[in-house]
Amino acid sequence: MPAERMADFRPDAAADVTDVVCPVTFVKALAALDELEDGRILEIRLNDGEAARNVPLSLKDEGHQVLRLTDNGDGTCALLVRKVSACPVE
Amino acid sequence: MTLTVTGVLKEYPEGINLSRLIELEKVATPMYVTVALNDDFVESGGFGSTALKDGDKVEFLYFMGGGR
Amino acid sequence: MAFNAEQLARYSRQIILKELGIKGQQKLKQARVLVVGAGGLGSPAAFYLAAAGVGHIGIIDADEVDLSNLQRQILHGTDDVGRPKADSARASLLALNPETEVRALRAFVDAGNIMGFIRDYDFIIDGTDNFPAKFLINDACVLAGKAFSHAGILRFTGQLMTYVPGQGPCYRCVFREPPPPEAVPSCRQAGVIGALAGVVGSLQAMEAVKYIVGAGALLTGALLTYNGLQGDFRKIALSRRADCDVCGEHPSITAPVDYAQAVCDA
Repeated sequence: MPAERMADFRPDAAADVTDVVCPVTFVKALAALDELEDGRILEIRLNDGEAARNVPLSLKDEGHQVLRLTDNGDGTCALLVRKVSACPVE
Repeated sequence: MTLTVTGVLKEYPEGINLSRLIELEKVATPMYVTVALNDDFVESGGFGSTALKDGDKVEFLYFMGGGR
Repeated sequence: MAFNAEQLARYSRQIILKELGIKGQQKLKQARVLVVGAGGLGSPAAFYLAAAGVGHIGIIDADEVDLSNLQRQILHGTDDVGRPKADSARASLLALNPETEVRALRAFVDAGNIMGFIRDYDFIIDGTDNFPAKFLINDACVLAGKAFSHAGILRFTGQLMTYVPGQGPCYRCVFREPPPPEAVPSCRQAGVIGALAGVVGSLQAMEAVKYIVGAGALLTGALLTYNGLQGDFRKIALSRRADCDVCGEHPSITAPVDYAQAVCDA
């Protein structure tokens, strides 16, 4: 996806996971995504460091589409992720 | 002949029947054991008339009534 | 159904499992599991189900806590000696997870009440200590079309199997009818290691969780045996009996049956 198009993504909902540590960060993000319809975009505010490293990877591993991770410059990051409904797990 | 008895592959005298196997294996409660031969149950009255052949798989299933 | 921050934190280690996720946690919250017997098997089973966030747990036991129970019945503590097990179990489950809805019943199961007890539940755990009760629970679950986990323990060995309507054998397919009283050793006569009850009861909780969330393969069509002395697990494949008295093609048992039993308080 070209960088100029990335800026166009408009979040449909927001979640703040800066108040918890891993893996609850990921779980809170999952819960927020669960409230959304397929294809909708969630903006997640998360702390720099472990959360910023792990949450995007974990969401990607679940099949969701990680769109953008930007540094807010205040010790937190903003993660944009599009919900992709997972295939049923056997 | 070779039988797999409770998961263990072992040599047994040729042509023994299930009753003899139960003796050989020293089954503690022969009156109340359930036997599965090649995954199917054998009627408890039919052990003496059930011949075993090479390659058979035999399981002994025991009553376990505890839980409390 | 949304979870609050505390719930997400409490269940985070299992929500992150792909096989569970938020959806699985919701299924657990909506689930109703009945544990018959608050003893060696019922204790770990009910404990883990409450911990996992099963929304409603029913627990039935007629007895009072005895000092000799505490070696394995971990729902009860020393201060509970003399107290009805149903009450003590309820208190322990709520202390672990106050969000659990616990219905504790002080009763013996019999042919007259079993159908009513199981009616409102999705999954039943047999944690009883005698054959009449084990056959009664099997028959009632087959007749009512309920999934359940059977287990038995003795000395250092235990076994369990899961019945799901239409899938594999029931307990009666395997064992036909209760042995005469005292024909096979009971726990009380033969003894048991507490950790064995923990292993097998925990496996029953595992079966309930898998059934509720729809993950993995259940112990249907198989008997899992555990020999604690040798450290061996064995999974024995079993097929249905077409002539089973309760789940067979022409069942002779069409209502729950009471069998006489040797008086045993385990």
